[in-house]
Amino acid sequence: MTELVQFSSRPEFRNPTLVAAWSMDAAGLGWSVTDYLVSKLDGQPFCHIEPVDFFTLGGVTIDNDLVQFPESRFYACPEKDLVLFQSTPPSHEWYRFMNLVLDVARDYCHVREFYTVGSMVALGPHSAPRQFFATVSSRELKEELGPYGLTREVNYESPPGARPTLNSFFLWAARRRNIPGANLWAPVPFYLVSSDDPAACKKVLEFLNHRLGLGLDLSDLDEEARALDERIDRIRASSPDVDRYIGKLENSEGLAEGEGEKLAKEVEELLREEEG
Amino acid sequence: MGIRLFTEPKLHQPDMVVGWPGIGNIGVITVDTLRQETGAEPLGDIEPWDFFYPNKVVIKGGVLEKLEFPSNKFYYKRLDDRDLLLFIGEEQPSEHGRMYAEGGKAYEMANLVLDVAEQFGCRRVYTSGAAVALTHHEIKPRVWAVATDDRVLAEAQGYINTVLMSEAEGRGDFGNITGLNGLLTGVARKRGFEGICLMGEIPDYLSRVPFPYPRASQSVLEVLGSALGVPINPKALEGMVTQIEGVISNVFRQFPPAVREKIDQRKRDIQTRPGIITDEEEQWLKEHIDDLFQRGEKGQ
Repeated sequence: MTELVQFSSRPEFRNPTLVAAWSMDAAGLGWSVTDYLVSKLDGQPFCHIEPVDFFTLGGVTIDNDLVQFPESRFYACPEKDLVLFQSTPPSHEWYRFMNLVLDVARDYCHVREFYTVGSMVALGPHSAPRQFFATVSSRELKEELGPYGLTREVNYESPPGARPTLNSFFLWAARRRNIPGANLWAPVPFYLVSSDDPAACKKVLEFLNHRLGLGLDLSDLDEEARALDERIDRIRASSPDVDRYIGKLENSEGLAEGEGEKLAKEVEELLREEEG
Repeated sequence: MGIRLFTEPKLHQPDMVVGWPGIGNIGVITVDTLRQETGAEPLGDIEPWDFFYPNKVVIKGGVLEKLEFPSNKFYYKRLDDRDLLLFIGEEQPSEHGRMYAEGGKAYEMANLVLDVAEQFGCRRVYTSGAAVALTHHEIKPRVWAVATDDRVLAEAQGYINTVLMSEAEGRGDFGNITGLNGLLTGVARKRGFEGICLMGEIPDYLSRVPFPYPRASQSVLEVLGSALGVPINPKALEGMVTQIEGVISNVFRQFPPAVREKIDQRKRDIQTRPGIITDEEEQWLKEHIDDLFQRGEKGQ
C-alpha cells in the first residue's frame, strides 16, 4: 500500500461487506444511499485516497457557488461489519485507483463481498412500480442472491462508442482479485435525474438492509417518497404540459420528439422553485 | 503491467513499424494494411488495463461475462532479408482524456513497444502518422520524414515521394509531432534505436473530419514497401480510397465557389511553385475552412 492511501484511524472488522458509490450518477443515487448508511449507522471516516494521481487538478469546479473537490473516502460501521466507500469518479489511472480501493478493502478490512450502487435513467414514470437490477461477478453469487428478489437476468452488450460504466470496471477488477460482488442498479425516471429519488434509494436500501442484516427502519424514505409524489402532483396541477406528458408515460404511450426534454426541464425547474 | 507474448519466434534483424490512431487514421491504416498484405501473424500484446478505460462490456444472465479494452497488438512476419515486426494500437493512452498520448502513460507505452523491439533484435523503428498540409485532395500526398540521426535521415531523403519535414512548405528547421507516433521516435532515439517517422500529407481542410484519409496511407505504404523490401499491392486500399474520395468530392462541391477556387489554386501553385503558399492564403484558410466544411457536410 502506498502513501496515496491515508488512514486517519484503524477500525477493526471481522469479514465486512463493502458498499461503494461514485458521485455524479442520475439522482445522485449512489451517494444518497451511502450517505443514508453513514448517517443511520454512524459511519466514521477512517481512510482516504489522495487525489493527485487520479484527478485532473487544474482548478476546481463550482456547483451552486460551492467549491467541489475530488473525494475518495472510506467509512467504517464496525458494529454492522460494514465498510462504505464514496468517491468522485477518477479521471485517469482507473485500474490503479480501483486496485487501491481493493487493497484497502481486502488487505486491511478483509472484505468478503462488495456492492456498488448506481442508477440508470429510465423512460417510465415515477408512479410506476420501481424495478431493481443487479449484475454480479459470478454465477455462485447470482444463486446466493436469488431469494432477494432482484431482477437478475440482465443481458447487455455495450453498443460501439458507449463505454462501460465505472461500476462494471470495478466489478471486473475485483473479480481479478477474487472478491465477489455485485453492481446494484436502480432505474430513476429521466425527469428526476437532477433531483433526489427517495423511492429508488429505498429500493436499494431494502436489499442491503435484508442482505446485510442492518436492522434499519426505512420508513423515513417512504415519507420522503410521498412528499416528492405530492410535489410532482402539485407541478402537474400547475402545468398542463407536465401533466399530459407524465400521463402519457403512465399510459405507456411514447412521448413525441422534444416532449421528454421539455418534461425534464420543467420538472427540474419547478422542483427547484418549490425548494426556494 | 506488461507484455504478453503468444509466441517467441526467432527473428532475423527485424524492422518494426508502429501505428496509432491520429488525424485521418493514417498510421493505423498504413500498418494494418501492411499486416494484411504481408500476412503477419499475432505475436503478443500489451496488457491494456493500466493504460485504458474499457471499451466494451458483455453481461449475460446478470453475470459479467467480459470487459474489453482497446487492443495493442504486436505481429511478426518472416521475410527473405530482414524480418518484420508490427505494432498497432487501437487508442493512444492519455492522462487527461485527450486524443493524443502525453505524460507518463505515453512514455511507458512507448518503452513497452521498444522493449519488444529490443527483445527480438530490432534496431530500426518506423512510425507513421499525418502531416497536415496546405495541399489538395486531388494531389497525391507526399510523405514527410524525420529521423533520429543524420545517417538515417539521409537514407529517408532518398525515399520515393518523400520530403524532409524542414523542406515541406518552407516550414524551416523547427516543428513538432504530436502524440505517440512522434513520441516513440523520441524514445527510440533515447534508447539508441534508429527511428524514422513517415507522415502522409492530409489537406488542412480535412484534418478535423471524422473519417479516414487512406490516400495518405497509400503514399506511406508505398514508401514503406520500398524501404522494407516488401511488395505491397498498389490497389490494396483502392476500395477505401474510392469510397472516401466520393464523400470528399460531395462535400467539396458544397463549399462556396470562392473557397473552392482558393483551394483549387493549390493544384496550380504546386505545379509551378511546389510547396509555396502565401501567408495570407494560409491565414484565410485557417480562419474559414473548418466552419465551411462542417456546413458542407450538412448539405447546406
